[in-house]
Amino acid sequence: MSELPPRSRGVIALVEDSCTSCMLCARECPSWCIHIDSHGVTEVPPEGGRARTTAVLDRFAIDWSLCMYCGICVEVCPFDALEWAPAHAYGESDAGALLHERERLGDWLG
Amino acid sequence: MSGPRARTDEVELGGTRWRVHDLALACCALEYAAASVRLQSARAGADDSDVARHFDLLPAGPEQADVLVVSGTVTDAMAPAVLAVWDRLGRPRYVLSFGSCANSGGPYWDSYCVTKGVDQLVPVDVYVPGCPPRPEALLAGLAQLRRQVAGVPA
Amino acid sequence: MSPGWPARVATALAAEVHDDFGLARVDVVPGHWADAVRTARDELGCTFFDWLTAVDELHDGYRVVCHLAVPPAGGAPIQVLMIRTLLPRDEPVVASVAGVFAGAGWHEREVSEMFGVVFADGTGGGLLLPPGFVGHPLRKDFVLASRVAAPWPGAKEPGESDASLADPADPAAGAANRSGRRRSRPPGVPEPGDWGPREPGTAKRGVR
Repeated sequence: MSELPPRSRGVIALVEDSCTSCMLCARECPSWCIHIDSHGVTEVPPEGGRARTTAVLDRFAIDWSLCMYCGICVEVCPFDALEWAPAHAYGESDAGALLHERERLGDWLG
Repeated sequence: MSGPRARTDEVELGGTRWRVHDLALACCALEYAAASVRLQSARAGADDSDVARHFDLLPAGPEQADVLVVSGTVTDAMAPAVLAVWDRLGRPRYVLSFGSCANSGGPYWDSYCVTKGVDQLVPVDVYVPGCPPRPEALLAGLAQLRRQVAGVPA
Repeated sequence: MSPGWPARVATALAAEVHDDFGLARVDVVPGHWADAVRTARDELGCTFFDWLTAVDELHDGYRVVCHLAVPPAGGAPIQVLMIRTLLPRDEPVVASVAGVFAGAGWHEREVSEMFGVVFADGTGGGLLLPPGFVGHPLRKDFVLASRVAAPWPGAKEPGESDASLADPADPAAGAANRSGRRRSRPPGVPEPGDWGPREPGTAKRGVR
């Protein structure tokens, strides 16, 4: 099979370290196929100052059976946590297996 | 049968030739056509020698087919026609759902007139994701179906 | 469009011609709808019927729009014309123009099933929807049931999970959940309680 260019619209990979659970991709997705769970962690800086809460990602999943590969999620992410990857043959015998959780989404990174 | 155009190709499995019938409902049908053309050119001596060994082309109707590839959106109005084609397949018969619309309704999941996946109507053996999937993804999906039926671990 | 075209249209149809970004547009009253389309064909040379559709203009009613063209001939450029009429919402009836352009029959069937507009003396009947379909889907008040039934993944705020939504007392819930901030809703989804099955006894005051 011919080699695909690296940014081919084959599958979308997650750079988990860059994700802040801002929910923008889940909200903009027209197919409603991105599922995100997170929880807030509150920390008081050791040097003093007010407490700050950050969201920590618990779950990031994309349902490829619904995805239309429009790329809106990749474009809207303010932290470039989503990237196109050239994989194209990931069919399944069970439609539920097309729901990829964050570990598998991270595996798609080159 | 009037309605969507149909294509039947042959998929070779060891010594058993499998014929594939495409229910060409929407855009994914063009990727199926591209895959068919790719098979023909492979036989003519292009890159994909592995593909050339196992896949062949022979137009026929659903009665001669073992595999039904559903390429495109299944609207509620088309559902009876999809069932009618599936009824005409030989036995045993397999279904490959090609593309997001056939998998789940895809981008039209919220439409007032779209069936949310062909598996609402017929049992599906392999789901190939994509919108549309590449022609290579169809060939990989058919190969996967072959292995599944033969009981070969993925 | 050509300089003389708006004047010719205005004269033939006895109506004001508007220039919508280079497109000649005429509005007529519903009673003159079929006459206007026939005049456009016979006196203005609009022998090409392009399409006919409708727009749900909410309180104003339904606007039926017909797009016609004079085919280019002998070096003369193509001329296009949009004729519109506005039908009252409670009685959207207008004459059929299938007798003027046979091809308009299919467009009228689609408009009648999608908007509920009645084309008198038209072929009637649906075109695209499955038999037994209830409602007129292209009306703006038609709710897409799937969007109401399916939980929107974007309903959560950063710092929330499905588990924390279920239990507001969960300390893992995000600050937004505790503050009771109004949640955003995806497009096309009505307020809870405005549409769909309702618990008995929860009707809003003043609504039957």
